Amino acid sequence: MDNYDDDNYDDGFDEQTLASRMQTHLWRRLFSYTLPHKRDLAALAGFSFLTAIAEVTFPLITKWVVDDIQANGGDADLVLWALLYLVCTAVLAVSVAGFVAIAGKIRAFLSHDIREEAFGNLQRLSFSFYDHRPVGWLMARMTSDCERLSNILAWGFMDFIWGATTMVGIAGAMVVMQWDLALVVLAILPVLYWVSVKFRRSILTSARQVRRANSRITGSYNEAIMGVLTSKAFVRERENLGEFQGLTGTMYRASVTNMTLSAIYLPIVTTLASLSMGLVLLVGGMDVYVAPLMVGTLVAFLAYARHFFEPVETMGYWFAEMQMAQASAERVLSLIDAEATIRDSDDVLEAISAQRAAPEREHVAFDGGPARISRIELKNVGFAYESGAPVLEDIDLTVNADETIAIVGPTGGGKSTLVNVICRFYEPTTGQVLIDGIDYRKRSLHWLQSSLGMVLQNAHVFSGPILENIRYGRPDAPDDEVVIAARIAGAHDFITAMPEGYRTEVGEGGSRLSAGQKQLVSFARAILADPQILVMDEATSSVDTETEMHIQDGLRRVLMGRISFVIAHRLSTVRNATRILVIDGGRIVETGDHAALLAADGHYASLYRQQGLRDTKSLWTPGSEALPAGSGEGAR
Amino acid sequence: MKEGTSLWAIARGQRTRYSGAIVAMAITNVLMFGAPLIAKYAIDVVHERDLALGAPVLVAVTERVAATDPHLAYLVVSAVAGVAVTAVGGFFLFLRGLWTAMASEAICRRLREELFRRLHHLRAEFFDDADTGDLVQRCSSDVETVRVFLSADVVEIGRASLLVLTVVPILFWLNADLAWYSICLLPLLPVGAYVFFSRIKDLFEETDRSEGEMTAVLQENLTGIRVVRAFAQQERETQRFGRRIRAFRDNHTRLARLMGIYYGAADLLALGQLGIVLVAGALFILDGQITVGDLFAFLTVVGMVTWPIRTLGRVLTDTGKAVVALGRIDHILTTPEESTEATPSLPRARGAIRVERLQFWYTEERPVLRDLSFEIAAGETVGLVGAPGSGKSSLIRVLLRLYPYQGGQVFLDDLEVRDVDRKWLRNQFGVVLQDPFLFSRSIEENLRVARPDARFEDLVEASRDAAVHNAISAFPDGYAAMVGERGVTLSGGQRQRVALARALVKDPPVLVLDDSLSAVDTGTERQILDALDRRRGRHTTIVVAHRLSTVAHTDRILVLDRGRLVQQGTHDTLARELGPYRRLCEIQGALEASIDADLQAAAGET
Repeated sequence: MDNYDDDNYDDGFDEQTLASRMQTHLWRRLFSYTLPHKRDLAALAGFSFLTAIAEVTFPLITKWVVDDIQANGGDADLVLWALLYLVCTAVLAVSVAGFVAIAGKIRAFLSHDIREEAFGNLQRLSFSFYDHRPVGWLMARMTSDCERLSNILAWGFMDFIWGATTMVGIAGAMVVMQWDLALVVLAILPVLYWVSVKFRRSILTSARQVRRANSRITGSYNEAIMGVLTSKAFVRERENLGEFQGLTGTMYRASVTNMTLSAIYLPIVTTLASLSMGLVLLVGGMDVYVAPLMVGTLVAFLAYARHFFEPVETMGYWFAEMQMAQASAERVLSLIDAEATIRDSDDVLEAISAQRAAPEREHVAFDGGPARISRIELKNVGFAYESGAPVLEDIDLTVNADETIAIVGPTGGGKSTLVNVICRFYEPTTGQVLIDGIDYRKRSLHWLQSSLGMVLQNAHVFSGPILENIRYGRPDAPDDEVVIAARIAGAHDFITAMPEGYRTEVGEGGSRLSAGQKQLVSFARAILADPQILVMDEATSSVDTETEMHIQDGLRRVLMGRISFVIAHRLSTVRNATRILVIDGGRIVETGDHAALLAADGHYASLYRQQGLRDTKSLWTPGSEALPAGSGEGAR
Repeated sequence: MKEGTSLWAIARGQRTRYSGAIVAMAITNVLMFGAPLIAKYAIDVVHERDLALGAPVLVAVTERVAATDPHLAYLVVSAVAGVAVTAVGGFFLFLRGLWTAMASEAICRRLREELFRRLHHLRAEFFDDADTGDLVQRCSSDVETVRVFLSADVVEIGRASLLVLTVVPILFWLNADLAWYSICLLPLLPVGAYVFFSRIKDLFEETDRSEGEMTAVLQENLTGIRVVRAFAQQERETQRFGRRIRAFRDNHTRLARLMGIYYGAADLLALGQLGIVLVAGALFILDGQITVGDLFAFLTVVGMVTWPIRTLGRVLTDTGKAVVALGRIDHILTTPEESTEATPSLPRARGAIRVERLQFWYTEERPVLRDLSFEIAAGETVGLVGAPGSGKSSLIRVLLRLYPYQGGQVFLDDLEVRDVDRKWLRNQFGVVLQDPFLFSRSIEENLRVARPDARFEDLVEASRDAAVHNAISAFPDGYAAMVGERGVTLSGGQRQRVALARALVKDPPVLVLDDSLSAVDTGTERQILDALDRRRGRHTTIVVAHRLSTVAHTDRILVLDRGRLVQQGTHDTLARELGPYRRLCEIQGALEASIDADLQAAAGET
């Protein structure tokens, strides 16, 4: 898991404010997730109700037995009472089994349903959504928040039915038996409820502090392990431990406070309960003193006085928990509600369903448009992030099939953004992108993106065997094609040198591969996918010079026959491109092929001159020592 | 904590508090039974109108209070006593909670700190095969498992045992015959619970596992979302995730069903026990063996004892889990640490390095450095080149003694590095690692890691030399900008340059750059090399690099091949010698040549 600290990332959801008032609309919305499980919910309500009724009946049976004995002595019909008791016990046992099983089931289904919907939406949301949200933040929503909410929905619902029934049942039984004594018990109720909500809130608040301290501690461990060599090299052991002790101290105090609050709360509740028992004993005892037949009622009352407060306490807990969980609810719902800013328009969706009905034709994509891409045009394209300065401005560009476009320029100039706009990971904020004359917003997003292959600088590799990773874009590719792709990518040698070859597990996030190896694997992945458009964004930056030399040849073959965009620092990669764009400050400042740009003696030429060993050039006379000179031929 | 870690061992220093908590718990138990007992006597007194049936102590109190009706007075005394006894019991309950909290938290605090300290002092090779996630889990969730056990379960075991120990005598004292009826089913509860929870342990584990798999798929999807999109694999990902969440859901549902059966059965047993008490008690009343009050007391007391006993099975399973967790923690605690050498404090080194016949390997079958010998004079700048896997980075690690070497000798200023204090040794080096690690705190604090008392101007100067000052100044918070998710995200090149600045702040006798400019573009690299050139002589400098441009200016270049030194000399001499360096030059030279050709051609055309 990421080192992730929820409380230090300002995501715009203010827990304090959100917890201050009950937000009924949120809960109504969440509760609607139980609708598909209506029958289970009804069963849960039924079992909870029966549980409460059975529990309320037991003290009554005791009372009836005692009364019967008082009234009839040896003639008391104990068999009847025993049978009644047995029935009650059976009902209780069955309904407890029922509610535990069903509440658990509903909880599991709810978190499943919420997760499923949120995940589906996450797969649709545009890149801009991810730009502002760390993975750890998303993970926390999808895991612990989902569990917490479904827990509240299932068990909170169950406890609500149970608690309400119990309280109404007990109150009813008490009032029927002896209304004045009932009032004595009920008098404590508001006090207990108040204490309960109050304490539960403070307990939950301090629990949050514990969580916060805990996530810091986890983060520190993570950092300690990841940075162990750095810490050792800078002899930071003692300082780090000192700082960590500060954290464990905070954790200690927060935890002890949290547990102390619970330790205070529990005795208060029991004492309050005993207070009402004391009152019952006093008032009821006087009644018994006057009328000895009442003793059964007194016994029942004493039992009720004890049980009456359990539901109050439980409901106080759920109320506090719901308030505290409102921030989680907001966040989870925000994932579900977020709208993909980039998606298929209604017209496109219609075209797709029309095409699905029509017979399959060659050269026609599933959205009814042409399947092949022979020209991409950017007309006056500009792009800006929400409320930000423009990143791209006035980009005009036409790319035909077979062309390789190299993009160079300083960091932050907008190279990656340009590529992302072409791939429709972002849509232009001004101007338009045409594919074979059609605005790409009128084509299916899925069609375009399944025609893509990308190799990125931070090559992401999934856990699992290398084989599966290379196959990622084409899961049905046969083994020999995988090997061919790996050879072209220059990855074959290091793969076969690994203990289990292509079946070697790369570990989470490819942890068992070096950065360069990851780039080679992701290069092979893109080659195997055989995309119409290939994008390489600093794809070989971590590969050593010798290996890079080896893959130049493969690269040239791969670029042939498709539209390619190559972003690179190393100009050796760039030289062979059909056209080179120099991008700076979001604009194309130079364009042309290698020779033309050198001749122009502008940005590109000066970038180019910086490469290599300028200072030693005089010592290292080119051409004089049988060098394979003129490998720049391809460019001219 | 070296003597194997048992639950008993880690409670060291807190055992008194635990004993206190258990004693407090015992007092609470006794007092909590007091209330129903008091009620019992009161019911008997008012019901039979016989003060002799009252509890002697309370009768004595009642007699002191001169009242018109002693029976009613007894009632009042009982009610007050009941509340008072519960309140006092509550106070001890509080003490129990407080002491347990302090004890368990203190133990965990010590455990956490010990783990953290260990992680810093373990040998570097420990981390080679270690999975960060797994280690963090040992330090966090496993400690948490132990904590839950210490804070809840220890006392729960004590409580259940004490309850049985206090309740049984009370019951027998009240009425021995009915007592037998009252406890006949009780032993079935913990036994049944234990059997049940051991049986479903597998399902518990499987549910945990399916949750873990779900999380893993989610994490991968989210971190790789760009790749998922770029290959349009959303549908497959959704199916994959769908399978995981379904598996988790179904396991969870199965678990809930079994738990339902368990709790149903447990309630059946517990209530059956109370039913037996009720029916038998009624018969006993009819026989005149017990009073109604006795029956009430029996019902209450048996009711109070069934719940904790019912949970005992779960507690026993938790104990099992805690023992397993502690074993996992122990793995870290018992791994040997780096040795510490107490040497008299040494002055700052001059920075001369001598390596003689050095042998080094991670595993014996695959030697990494073989018979390596070379010398570097103080203040010299040396380049280190070689193919990937030739041992360059390993050599750096050996110099810093991050790894022990198996043969030969390594000297810093004529001191063999294995004999000197590691800390002193490492303080003589400023290292920029290949994949530099920055702490998630501010840039300024990251720079100060090297020298906490450095002046701000020193930081700026180092940043300028590392060509990163402008980038830092461009952040909204400048040097106060946080690194990582909470703040600015640095590019690979920026990270390397910040790490370089950090090493420069240290101003060490020996500066080591381990391929640490790979993500920096050539123009910037030139600036940095020029700056380093100006500092020439201030440090002994070792530069490891793939690119020749990085090492070409050094005083001397060492060429490694499969762990051996195969060439050394200046760029000029090596470029003329036949050998690996020349090959490297040729690759770059080809580029050079074509650049020149290109430039000339271009010049010719214009």
